[in-house]
This record gives sequence, C-alpha cells and structure tokens, in this order.
Amino acid sequence: MNTLSPSPIKIMLVDDHPMVRDGLSACLSFYDDIAIVGACNDGTEVLQTAKQCLPDVILMDISMPNQNGLEATEIIKETFPDTKILIFSMHESSEFVKNAVQAGASGYILKDTDSEEVYQAIKTVAQGKSYFGSNIAQMLLASPTNPSNERLTAREQMILSHIATGQSSKAIAHTLDISVRTVEAHRRNIKSKLNIDNLAELVRYAIEQGLVNSA
Amino acid sequence: MPFSFRIQLFAVIQVILTALFTYIFVTNEYRDLSEQNVATLEAFLIEQKQQELKNYTEIAKASIQHIYAGAAKDDPVAQELVANILSTLIYDGHDGYFFVYDEYGTNIVLPTEPYRVGQNYWDLLNDKGEPTIQILIENAKNGGDFYRYPWNQPSTETITEKLSYSDFLPKWGWMMGTGVYLDNVQQQLISVQTAIDEHTDNTRFIILFVAMSSIFVIFTIGTILHFTQKKESDKQIDQLGQKIITLQEDEQRHISRELHDGIVQILVSIKYSLEATGKFLAHQNVEKPVPLIQAQTNLSNAITDIRRISHHLHPRILDELGLSDAMEALGKEFSERTNIAVTITKPALSKLLPDHINITLYRVVQESLMNIEKHAQATKTSIDLAIMDNWLTLTIRDNGIGMYEMNENEPSLHSGIGTRNLAERVKYHRGQFKLTSSRKGTTVVAKIPRSAFAHHYTQKQEPILAESI
Repeated sequence: MNTLSPSPIKIMLVDDHPMVRDGLSACLSFYDDIAIVGACNDGTEVLQTAKQCLPDVILMDISMPNQNGLEATEIIKETFPDTKILIFSMHESSEFVKNAVQAGASGYILKDTDSEEVYQAIKTVAQGKSYFGSNIAQMLLASPTNPSNERLTAREQMILSHIATGQSSKAIAHTLDISVRTVEAHRRNIKSKLNIDNLAELVRYAIEQGLVNSA
Repeated sequence: MPFSFRIQLFAVIQVILTALFTYIFVTNEYRDLSEQNVATLEAFLIEQKQQELKNYTEIAKASIQHIYAGAAKDDPVAQELVANILSTLIYDGHDGYFFVYDEYGTNIVLPTEPYRVGQNYWDLLNDKGEPTIQILIENAKNGGDFYRYPWNQPSTETITEKLSYSDFLPKWGWMMGTGVYLDNVQQQLISVQTAIDEHTDNTRFIILFVAMSSIFVIFTIGTILHFTQKKESDKQIDQLGQKIITLQEDEQRHISRELHDGIVQILVSIKYSLEATGKFLAHQNVEKPVPLIQAQTNLSNAITDIRRISHHLHPRILDELGLSDAMEALGKEFSERTNIAVTITKPALSKLLPDHINITLYRVVQESLMNIEKHAQATKTSIDLAIMDNWLTLTIRDNGIGMYEMNENEPSLHSGIGTRNLAERVKYHRGQFKLTSSRKGTTVVAKIPRSAFAHHYTQKQEPILAESI
C-alpha cells in the first residue's frame, strides 16, 4: 500500500477511554488518506470488532480492564497476520516495547505523541515497516534485547496451561476459537523455546513452574 | 498482659484466703475436738477408777464381813481383827491401800504410815484448803461417795491428785476408804493431747505446703501463659503490620491506577482536542494563538508529572507484564543511574504471581538495590529469579564490601529496619528470607513456596476466557 493509493488506510482504535479515542479521531480526521473504521473498549472485544471492520492498522492501548493490548495483539495476529498493530500506550519502559514486538506489533508510540507523528507512524506500519517513537527508539538502543533467554508470549503461556491441564489441540482450538493449525504452531514454538520435545515433559514443566496447580 | 497478671494475682489471693480459712478452721476444729476427746477420755478413765475403787471396797467389805457381821457394837477384839485385815489389803504397788478413821477423825488404819494410828486428823486441811477427813467421813455417812483431793503419794513422795471412795461401817461408826492416785490418768491424757497436737501440726503443715505449691504452680503457669500470650500477641501485631502494609500497597496501586488510567487519559484526550483545535485553526489559515501553545506545553508537563507520581506509588509494569519485566526495568534504571553493572536472569514464564507476592518481591529488589547503592560500593550486581524444587527463589547478589563491621572476631550485622521489614513481609507470604554478608559482598535470598501461587495463573485466566468465548 502506498500514500497515493485511492483507498484510505483503514484504522481501528482500541482504547478503554472514549475521550482519548474521540480526541485522536478528531486529530486524524484532518488526514484524507486514513479512515477510522472501528473502535472498541477492551482486548476481549478486539477480534470481534476486527472481523467486522477489517482494519489495515490497529492502534492498540496496552492497559485495559480485562485483557491487555499485548495479549490482544497476539490474538489478532493469529487470525489476521497481515493486519498491522501499532501500540499506542502510556507505558514507557523498554520491557513493554520488547513484549509488544514479541507479541507481533509493528510499532510502538506513546500516547502523548503529537498527532502528526501518530499519522506518520500509521503510514509507516501500513507499508509493512516498523515504527518506534523517537524516545522509544533511543531506549531500545540503550538496552539491547537479551536473546539468550527465550520467554513465552502471553498467548503461548495460556496455551501451555491448557496443554498442561490435559487438553488436546482440538479442544484448545475450540476453547480459544482458533484453528487447530494455529494451536499446533503455538505448540511447536513453545517446545522449541523451552527446548522440550514431549508432552509429559511439557506438563511436568508447567507444574514445576507453578503455571498450573498439580493438586 | 495486664489481664493475665490480674488473673494470676486473683488466683494467688484466692489460694491464700482458702489456705488461711482452712488453717484457722482446722486449728479450731482440732482444738475443740482435742478438748472434747480429752474430756471424754478423762471422764471415762475416772469412771473406770471409780468402778475399780467400788470393787476394791466391795472386796474389802467381803473380806471383813465374817467378823463384822457377828461383832458387837463395842467389840475391841473384832475391831482389832478387822483393822489388821484392812491393813494388809494392798494393791497397785504401794499406792493402793485402805484407811479407816472413826467418825471423829481419829485414825485407825493407815498401812503406809502406821505411826499416825490413834492420832486425830479432823481439822487437817489439804492443799486445796479443804478438811479432807471431814469430807471423807461425810461422804461415808451419806452412803458412800467419791472425793478428789491433792494428797501425798507414797511411791513418789509427791503431792498428787487422789480419788478416794469412802464407806461407812455404822455399827462401829467407822469410815473406811481407799483411793487411787490419778498421776497415770494425767499422763495418759497428756500423751493423747500430744498425739492430737502432732496430728494438728501435720495437718497445718500439709495446708501450708499445698498452699505454697499452689501459689508456685499458679506463678509457673502464669509465667508460661504470659510468655505464650506475649508470643501470640507479637505474632498478631506482626500480622496486623503486614495487613496494614498490604492495605497500603493496595491503596497505592488503586491511586496509581486512578491517576494513570483515569486522569492521565483525560489529559491525553484534552491534549488531542487542543491539537485538533490547532489543526482546525490552521485549516482556517489562522495562526495558532500563544495561549493554546502554552496550554499544550503545560498539559504535557502535567501528564509527565502525574505519570511520575503514579509510577512512584506503584509500578504499573508489575501488573501488566509481571515481576520479571518489572525487575528488569528496575535493574536497568538502577544501572543507568549508578553505573553498577546489573545482570538479570528470569524464568521463561511470567505473571504467575498474585499481586501481593508480586509487590513484596518487587520491594525486596527495590530495597536491596537501594542498599547496594548506598552502602555496598559494588561494581557488579545480579538479580536472579528462578522456580525450582517447589520454590520461587529471588536472589540479589553484589560484589561490594558487605554489611559487616570491619571486626573479624565479632562480625555484627547492620541489618536495617528496611531489611527487617522485608523479611517480615516475605515471611507473611509463607516465604523465607535470608541475608548473608561478607567482605566480598552481600546476598539477599527471598523464597516463596510454589503452593502459595500455583493456583493463581489458571484462576486468573478463567474469567477472561469466559468473556472471550
């Protein structure tokens, strides 16, 4: 997609504060090549709303009452791998940025970013590139990620907990309303990250780490 | 504590009063009883003696009957015979004998002192000032009776109480009597009295002993209770303290959330509204007024300030990403500020811990890093979080100078209030806390049993799943 494209970039806003959404909408309405097609309050509603409005870019808040934006990001990426997620948050730590990238986000900007920069960020991620706000980028440079420690994403951890309680991939797929193939993909990632290759070991690991209760 | 002391005092007073009452009661009872017993015994013994004397008299009368019955009113031969017979009737060693006086007080028979025969004793007064012979004659004339009086005892040559029975031989006008000395009766009574007294003393001793041992037992139990109660109340105070800390953390988290998710969001929305206003004005080809620019700048400052306050109250990263990432952010910030290198290891899983354990361990890291910055003079620090062997273990190490004083013989630990509070907080969550320090560095280890959090993750997921389905 490029800036000269006749069809504007479809934007969905995910934020539990309607006032913030309204303020941002007001600012973005001055740009002709983007259109706000949907909005929702919480991570649990993201997938449903996205299915209706099929956005190109989702502006995602992190702190939300029920399910945070990072988990919601993973869930969107399972079903809509081509949809770009731009995190739009108040949180400034590099840990949030790392987690966002791990979850599949294409960019990370702070909520007090000027609307002009928000616009630029949207355009950049819509083109398939990454965008990090200027202060965020600095922070990432200052603390290079530690590649030795493979951590599970929130979604992977949830799926591991289901595996550990004895559910089959099919059952998990049904519970989480995703395809069996997606579950299997997660399962492979989990095994590879934890360096474990059989189910019994996986269950034992989950119990040992206190993810599920053995009792 | 004062309550248990009061109870103890009350019990001791009770025991003392009971013992005192029993003591007085028993003493009185025994005295009454012993007086009664002695009196009864005396009466019994005297009665026995009286019976004895009557019997002796009967025997004596029987032994003279064959002469007296046939004798005339004035019969010196028969009288001589009878006097001889009565003189020989001796019993009970030398102290049992018969004496005879005529009705005017002249002695006729007195085997112990025969030289008194023929002398008149009508006016003789005994030690009580009574005319002994007159009374004996009076008793005899009245048909025979007993008389107790002090009299010389032949066997011991002392004045002893004597009990005598006198009878009358009317034909001759003779008073015939015999008596026993009551010294052995007195002795018997004294020995009985002594036995009773001993018994009383024993009882008194037992009462005192029981009272003293009761008081001792009360004091012992009281002291034990006191210490157990103190321990118990100390524990309760500790728990209360932890509850207050927990509440405080909850409150801080709540305020932090209100600031971060409420007020800051409103300010952000205002910021975008102001921007939209600016854009609108630009569209109208109107230059941005200065007050609008100022408002935007002030607003940005306000947002920054409130975020800083919110973070200071409670790190939101702890709730959103879990302890590992919060710890890492803390370590990074610490490293940038102090130039002390920090290495962090953390488990592959995250957000396994309930809020209270999360914030407690976070505070452990925070406090430890602060101590390192202030005192340790370290160049390297490591923070390790691992779940192994049923324990979540947080270890913070530094290569500083340690917390010992530079005295090799007696290393005294400077564990400040902060460290003690941390230990209490960790223990409150069923955990363990250990601080070891040498001149090569300090190690803080906080451990939480897996059972304290193993249920948390799945429980927390359930409501979200229920909503998402």
